Amino acid sequence: MVTARARRYRIAPLIILIGATMVMALWAGLVRIGWSLGGAASIVNAHGPLMVVGVVATVVSIERAVALDRSWAFAAPFLSLVAALGVAFGAPVIVCAAVATVGACVLVATLVMLSRRANDLPSIAITLAGVIYLVGCAKWVLGAPVFVVLPFWTVWLVLTISSERLELTRVMRPSPFARATFIVLAIMLCVSLALPAWIRGSTTVAVALWLLRFDVARRSIKKAGLPRFTAFTLLGGYVWLALSGAALIAFGNQVAGPFYDAITHAVMLGFVFAMIFGHAPIILPAIAGVALPFQRVFYAHVVLLHVGLVVRIAGDLLGHSALRAWGGLLNVTALVLFMCVSAARVARSKQRTS
Amino acid sequence: MERNSVEDVLATIVDPELGLDLVSLGLVYRVECSDDAIDVDVTMTTPACPLAEYLRRQAEVAVSSAFPRARVSIHLVWSPPWDATRMSSAAKKTLGW
Repeated sequence: MVTARARRYRIAPLIILIGATMVMALWAGLVRIGWSLGGAASIVNAHGPLMVVGVVATVVSIERAVALDRSWAFAAPFLSLVAALGVAFGAPVIVCAAVATVGACVLVATLVMLSRRANDLPSIAITLAGVIYLVGCAKWVLGAPVFVVLPFWTVWLVLTISSERLELTRVMRPSPFARATFIVLAIMLCVSLALPAWIRGSTTVAVALWLLRFDVARRSIKKAGLPRFTAFTLLGGYVWLALSGAALIAFGNQVAGPFYDAITHAVMLGFVFAMIFGHAPIILPAIAGVALPFQRVFYAHVVLLHVGLVVRIAGDLLGHSALRAWGGLLNVTALVLFMCVSAARVARSKQRTS
Repeated sequence: MERNSVEDVLATIVDPELGLDLVSLGLVYRVECSDDAIDVDVTMTTPACPLAEYLRRQAEVAVSSAFPRARVSIHLVWSPPWDATRMSSAAKKTLGW
């Protein structure tokens, strides 16, 4: 067991490094979308691994390590950060991918332990999702480019998040139909990685509709304060998930270009980061031991994220690169605002309690 | 110290996402009070919940503040596993049962 104090000392540097990784990833994103900001080519090329492995995988791994409460589980977030930063600073990609794969193995081991403890459908589905992430990392080690690995990482995140939501629907007594549908969709999502893109797109749309129909957010949006804020971010995220699936059906697998940008960022920003925005005030106190009290200004970065995505994807679909670049800048502003508002809120909360 | 007054304090600890308190959610399994000690067993909706230790600590701080002379112990327990039928009628109604 890890004491609260030891956990705080372990997690605080990781959170600072996640912030630094996110800044690098955003910088790289701006350059890739057309802003002439300069910067090392290794960082610009590492945008995807920095965001997915360096930021999102690290956050997910910390959350799972805290839930398991075992010291060795914290190796997973540490290794995913090392892997992403290694790519950014020009280390050989194969070495960084191998480090990410070892981190993914630790994450899967953590998920297996949690699954044995919980012994329920959501934890089994989350473990399956972790295996998909591991497969993606293994393909990366074997030399697959990021656009080949990305569908695996995307399915990992979609399945992880939807399984966590399934767990919470238990308070609403989900029907056997809802559970059975979820099992079919989870299996389809994994299998679809080996099938034509329209099947993964259709399954993604179906997962989004499942979440919109059965998630507890439909109830908690009627409450006030933090429950409503979280529900607002989640429901918006489900719409982006559906749109991402629809775009995958329409455009198929893409390796680069505006349609690749639309499919990727609808799910990664619209869905995944909406989840992070919505859950930060809930999870940060639990994992880092610092309070992040809700305030209405939190809606600002969520709305800005959605508006930026609308502009960006309109630019993608219309072939208007300037519109896409401005949309991307709004997205980056939303993420920077999220980090600044959260840091300021934590600092103010600490001042009050000290 | 009475069991009911301890439960009233535990009812101030709210699940941040659901907006429902520990007592309404049926997460409080046991409250035992003696002259100088309070022992409480709480659970979570799942053993994989990352909020478990955080909510346990919040409950411990709240009960300790309300009963400063008592030795307060709040334990996380996983048996029997929580199920939704443990929720209060009001909580069930809120969640659309």
